[in-house]
Amino acid sequence: MTVPSSPASAGVPAVRCRSLGVSFGSVRALHRVSLDLAPGRIHALVGQNGAGKTTLAKVLGGLQAPDTGDVHIAGREIPPGDVRAARAAGLAMVHQHFSLPPSFTVAEALELTAARPGGRPLYRRNELHRRWRDDVAEIGGEAVLSTRIRDLPVETRQSLEIVRAMAADARILMLDEPTALLTPAAIDALFERLRRLREDGVTILVVLHKLREVAAVADTVSVLRDGELVLGPNEMSEVSQGRLSDAIVGPASQADRAVGVEAAPGAEQQTLLELARVSSRASAFEPGLGGIDLSVEAGEIVGIAGVEGNGQRSLVSVIAGLNAVTEGSVLLGGTDVTRAPPARRRRRGLRLVPFDRNSEGISRRAPLWLNQSALRLIGRRRRRLPLISLRQYKRQAATEMDQWRVRYDAVTQPAESLSGGNVQRLILSRELAPGLQVLVAAQPTRGLDFSATSFVRRSLRGLRDAGAGVLLVSSDLDELFELSDRVLVIYGGRIVAGFEAPYERRAVGDAMTGARR
Amino acid sequence: MTGGLQRVASTILLVGVSFLLTALILWVSGYRVGDVFSGVIQGSMTATGAATSSIRWAIPLLLIGMGVVIGFRAGFFNIGGQGQFYVGACSALVVTLGWRGGPAPLVVLCGTLAAVIAGLTWSLLPGYLRVRFGTDEVLTTLMMSFIGALVLQYLTAGPLRNPSGTGQTAASERIPEAFRITDSSGVSATVLLLVGGVAVLVWLLLERTRFGLAMTLVGRNPTMARWQGVDVRRVGLVNFALSGALAGLAGAVELYGPAGRLVTGFSPEVGFTAVVVALVGLLSVGGTVVAAVFFGGLQSAILFLPIVTDLPPPALVLLHGMVAFLVTVKFRAVRLRRTGPASEAPTG
Ligand SMILES: Nc1ncnc2c1ncn2[C@@H]1O[C@H](COP(=O)(O)OP(=O)(O)OP(=O)(O)O)[C@@H](O)[C@H]1O
Ligand SMILES: [Mg+2]
Repeated sequence: MTVPSSPASAGVPAVRCRSLGVSFGSVRALHRVSLDLAPGRIHALVGQNGAGKTTLAKVLGGLQAPDTGDVHIAGREIPPGDVRAARAAGLAMVHQHFSLPPSFTVAEALELTAARPGGRPLYRRNELHRRWRDDVAEIGGEAVLSTRIRDLPVETRQSLEIVRAMAADARILMLDEPTALLTPAAIDALFERLRRLREDGVTILVVLHKLREVAAVADTVSVLRDGELVLGPNEMSEVSQGRLSDAIVGPASQADRAVGVEAAPGAEQQTLLELARVSSRASAFEPGLGGIDLSVEAGEIVGIAGVEGNGQRSLVSVIAGLNAVTEGSVLLGGTDVTRAPPARRRRRGLRLVPFDRNSEGISRRAPLWLNQSALRLIGRRRRRLPLISLRQYKRQAATEMDQWRVRYDAVTQPAESLSGGNVQRLILSRELAPGLQVLVAAQPTRGLDFSATSFVRRSLRGLRDAGAGVLLVSSDLDELFELSDRVLVIYGGRIVAGFEAPYERRAVGDAMTGARR
Repeated sequence: MTGGLQRVASTILLVGVSFLLTALILWVSGYRVGDVFSGVIQGSMTATGAATSSIRWAIPLLLIGMGVVIGFRAGFFNIGGQGQFYVGACSALVVTLGWRGGPAPLVVLCGTLAAVIAGLTWSLLPGYLRVRFGTDEVLTTLMMSFIGALVLQYLTAGPLRNPSGTGQTAASERIPEAFRITDSSGVSATVLLLVGGVAVLVWLLLERTRFGLAMTLVGRNPTMARWQGVDVRRVGLVNFALSGALAGLAGAVELYGPAGRLVTGFSPEVGFTAVVVALVGLLSVGGTVVAAVFFGGLQSAILFLPIVTDLPPPALVLLHGMVAFLVTVKFRAVRLRRTGPASEAPTG
């Protein structure tokens, strides 16, 4: 195998680390990880939720000091946990969570956060725009520079994170789950970008969950399992899919069993969720809803397809009771809840997996057990005494998190210490618990590893079979087609089309872009 | 919990540093530091009546400090304790003087209730503005404090002024002795029981009720709390009401306890010191009790020092300020580091 690279750096790995170890309490996030990444190639890093991928990326990027081991970048040793040194050596990073400040304009955000040399303390707007014009040429040109970050569609935000990372002419780019938020088309575009960067000689390390994506973009693949490097870096051509998934899951893994969720009795006969001509006001990101009619029967999964930013968020918020309805009505289990506060809807068995798991789904600084128990705070009181037993709360939280195999050290640790996929598992463990009648799930498998994804899908089917109603909002058409009994397409805040299996990808895709009515 | 221990240790360290800095300033200004500090020990602990006096000053700090702790739990910086304390004391005074012929227990009970309601109202107004419009409660509670001070001034200098009073500062009439719950030392079994009971109740509320947990959720991430069905506005209103009620209660205790009458501008810093008390107490109930006793001792010493040294009374307020400054800086710094400057604000 010949390694294409510039002659100067031939032989020297772009990134080299030796026996890295990182522990958080009793959790061993990394254990004796040694890795060489050849320059000018795209390296994929895969592994289950909590396997240590983000931690490894952080250690390589100098954002986290390892307990043991050392890191060399382009042949230079980086002092442990020294971000500046890592940057100076040409390494840049795109994080799992968006990191650009939402209230800034694109130009401001870039100037503030990208380490581009030659910055000045004061700028006129034009100068600032001139400085960044070329960088954003591919993602909308100069016009995008004066848009606020929070008003950008996710794809552009993602691309912008890359622009920012590359601004200081990085030679090594690390991306942590960059595809999690993107639509298939946007993923293709992203991969195209990565390939072009590779042409320019940039070394890329990308964390991915879907093997399909790995196969599409990567030259080599490495697998982390429980903090250990169990495979790689291997040439993609040398590893079969089967060997790869075995390496990810490991020999000792028991298959996740689907959680037994019983929907409350009396749920079979009726329409569980109904929206009648529901309209709402537009938000900063999205059009408002424009007269949505929609119903979810007991024992049914209804999929909502749509390009992000077409009213999905409004739809979920309106059902949750967090966005006011300007017209029309919302019914839960036959009862009008249009004006009911969120708590009443929750008590009627509404369960929610919100879009933004880190701000809407969890409280990052609150302990795990409190995050897990949140719904118990508003349930009907059974006992006279207002006092509760924290021990019992914690024990129950631990039991339910264990069911979902959330990987944590102690129930008292803050939720922000969980890995991305484990946060999602925590949310699911809270929402997909007994008492559920209607589930509104936005991107429920985002950021989950392969086995957790199939676990969630099985659980959703289990819910349906138990007589619950599920509204599944997703930008992943494969997921929608696999699970849904019906798929509705939302466009510009309206339901523009409905489909039943067998689904025709073309037709659904056309409806999503408003090409068909 | 190593994190908890670390925070306790660093707070104690800060208080120690404040002592050192104060000593340094006193030394540079030519005072005998040794004398001053031995005076502090005497004035807070060893001199006759000093320990009692420390407890006496700890009581209002503790009650108001509990209110601050409650506020912080839900993410509110309710620093209006001073005004709430004043209007509480004033309401109790009005009830008592207006019904001086009534049976003592009943009058005191009604007066206390009036104080609680007044304090609660004084706090609820900024609270409403906060949850309804997102108005910064730091500003509004502070402003309400100034208004509260003016109410006190008006009453003591106007309608309730003791006409036979001789002092330079305006003061009200004394309430009848029968209505007092302590002697002039300000400490009695009744009061200790009351304050102890309040501390226990607040602890139970915060740590052992669903409402307390809901407050924690709101304080940490109001957006998530709303998604979970927590009524963020209601939590906010009740929170402000509780803080205000406790400060109002402190006003009643002051009147029926050590004061026996109200003087314009009495205990002018207690509401603000209580904020420092809560911060030094690491915003926990137990810690706040300890910190209240510590600052009560300091207050007692401030009053005692002029007797044994030539130090002007405000000099030790320096120590107060130093602790307040360092603890606040530390608190803000930790917050900023954790959440970034643009942390989410709990609005309804
Ligand atoms: N600051 C922290 N405190 C405590 N535990 C932590 C901390 N950061 C990470 N961990 C733990 O270390 C393990 C590895 O986490 P990491 O974020 O590297 O996983 P990951 O492979 O990126 O997973 P995912 O696919 O879910 O993003 C997890 O079990 C996580 O809970
Ligand atoms: Mg991760």
